[in-house]
Formats: sequence, C-alpha cells, structure tokens
Amino acid sequence: MEEPPLREEEEGEEEEEEDAERDEAGPEGALGKSPFRLTAEDVYDISYVMGRELMALGSDPRVTQLQFKIVRVLEMLEALVSEGNLAVEELRMERDSLRKEVEGLRRVGPPDSAGGEVNLGPDKVVVDLTDPNRPRFTLQELRDVLQERNRLKSQLLVAQEELQCYKSGLFPLPREGPRGRREKDALLARASNASSSKEEKTIIKKLYNYSNKKHT
Amino acid sequence: MAKKTYDLLFKLLLIGDSGVGKTCVLFRFSDDAFNTTFISTIGIDFKIKTVELQGKKIKLQIWDTAGQERFHTITTSYYRGAMGIMLVYDITNGKSFENISKWLRNIDEHANEDVERMLLGNKCDMDDKRVVPKGKGEQIAREHGIRFFETSAKANINIEKAFLTLAEDILRKTPVKEPNSENVDISSGGGVTGWKSKCC
Repeated sequence: MEEPPLREEEEGEEEEEEDAERDEAGPEGALGKSPFRLTAEDVYDISYVMGRELMALGSDPRVTQLQFKIVRVLEMLEALVSEGNLAVEELRMERDSLRKEVEGLRRVGPPDSAGGEVNLGPDKVVVDLTDPNRPRFTLQELRDVLQERNRLKSQLLVAQEELQCYKSGLFPLPREGPRGRREKDALLARASNASSSKEEKTIIKKLYNYSNKKHT
Repeated sequence: MAKKTYDLLFKLLLIGDSGVGKTCVLFRFSDDAFNTTFISTIGIDFKIKTVELQGKKIKLQIWDTAGQERFHTITTSYYRGAMGIMLVYDITNGKSFENISKWLRNIDEHANEDVERMLLGNKCDMDDKRVVPKGKGEQIAREHGIRFFETSAKANINIEKAFLTLAEDILRKTPVKEPNSENVDISSGGGVTGWKSKCC
C-alpha cells in the first residue's frame, strides 16, 4: 500500500527535473537527453540546431541531398516520439485508474481473503505450495488406496480365521504322520504364545521347510 | 480348500452426517469398546462380526462410510452391494436429523431397491443436550416404513439389538440356499476381491 504513492512522487520529481533541464540547456540540451524522455518539442529543438549547422555548411548540392534525408529522419523521430508519448500517457492514465480501483477494493473487502487479492471465482481454491499438508492426491488415487487397504484387510481376516481353524484343530494339517502330528502340536503351541516377530519368522520358516520335506 | 465357518454373509452399510457416531456404533458392536476421540473416517472402512441367528452363523461385513461431503463420490459406490443400510443421526445435532431426507434420497439413488433400511438416533445417553425428540425420529421412520432405534455407542444402548434386528430382517427375506451363492461375493461395489473362493 505504501509503495505506489512513493513512486508517484519520484516520477513527479523527475518530470520537474526534465523541465528544468530543457529550460537551462536550451535547444542544444535536447540532444543530450535520454531518447526515452524525448518530446516533440525536443525534436523541433534538434531540427533547429541541425538546420542551423547545415545552413552553415553552405549550398553544396551534397549538403542539400543530406538535408532531405535528415528532414525525413527527423519527421520519423517526431512521429515515434509523439506516438510513444501518447501511448505512455494513455497507459499512465489506465494505471492510475486501476490503482484507484485496487485501493477501493482493498478498502471495501478487508483481509478476509488472506490468500492474496486474486479473485478466482466460484469452485476454485488456492493451494499454498509451501504447506506440507496441502492436498496433493486425486480422488481416484484415494479410491485405489482404500480399495487396496480393504482388500488386504479382508485377506488378513481370512488368513487369521484360517489360522484359528488350524490352531483349534478344526482343520487337519495336510497329510501328516504320527511324528508330524507331534511336531505340529509343538509348533502350534509355540505359535500361539509367540510374541516376538523373530520367533514368528522362524516358525514360518520351519513350517515352510516341513511342508517342503513332505512334498519332496 | 478350507471349509466355511458361516452359513450366510450379509453386507451392511452405515451412513449419516459426519460426527454422528457411525464408527463408534460399529466399534461398539464389533469390539465392544468405545473411544471418545473423534477421528474422521477416511473414505470407507469395514469390520467383520459373526453372529448366530435362528441356528445360522451369519457373517456381517459392515461397511463404515465417511460422512463428510468430500468423500461422497467414493462412499456412494458402496451402496449398491449393501443388503442393509443403517442411517445414523445424532440426537444432539438438529442438522444431522434434517439431513435424513438427503441420506434417504441417496439410498434411493444408489442402493438396491430391496435394501433393508434402519434409522438410528445415536448419542441417546446425552439427554441434557438433546435437540431431536424421540417422537420425531419415530415419526420420520414411520413415514418411510423403516425401523427406528435410539442408540448410544458410549453407554452401549440398543447397539447389538439394532444390528441383530437388521440382520434378522435381511435373513427373513433371504431365500434358503447354499451360502456359496451371490451372497458371498463381496467384490461387487466394494472392490474387495479374493474372498469368493477362500472363506474359512
């Protein structure tokens, strides 16, 4: 909010300097100006200075020829400068009116839209890319993950139930001899009170080895 | 192949506004426990509980949906496979009661036509904060020809009764047949596969 008025002041000062420059330096000063600051008046000053110098060169036909070209170039410069200044003036007016509009809107709408002055319209949200908790996955991705979670959960429940059935002896272990029966009981007894994952792993390994031995 | 440990599988669905206690109702029924911390369900979840009715072992697969609007496109795709739907509101939250008609419309739009419906007014232990009289719940249930219970997951009031009643109502209109019929296929709608042949 503080910047625009400051810049306006700066520009004002510059414009004043510009005027002072011309007044002091006279027609010659126009040649020393920044090309982006030139006015039609400056171009006339330049043409006056150059005209005077050309006149001093006398009536050599080559000078006359050069004079036509210089006049043409000066006309072009005049057109560009006038056009450019007009455009600058128009843009400046537009800028000022937009600035006024923004200030008006800022006054009307207090900072309830803290995410900046961007008016997005309905059905849009602003995402703060620096927020680690910003939304970043699509509904389809969520749907897929949930489906996979629920599928794995159901498989786990099935496996747990099946395990329970084996533990309680509801299902017999496949093809076991009397020796295997004892081994299985021992394994199951240990499986039921196995708490460390390490122990569980060794049981799985043993079971795996056991069934492998049976099949080969 | 493993033998089945149940005769029938019923798929139930819990719906209703966010925060009315759907997950707590389910947790009370499945685990006989209650937790006061509120954690919004993300999309959809489920629990399993096997009950015995009329000498039949019935496995209830109960789908718990997120009440939040932003999950609705996910949750409504689970209506189709449900055989019973529990619509839950909170007796201390008038808005959740007003939204019943919206949820009933959702059922009409997305669920099977013959789905068994039930209305639950949850949190009935909080009578001091009640804003929905029991009569209003009974009235709207009567108007739609569905059963109604006031429940409390916290105080364990009517929870088991509600689930068992819903299961009985479904059982009553279930033709007697072997369990390896479409009842066991829970892959439709829910996207849960891998059950069909392996249901110990």
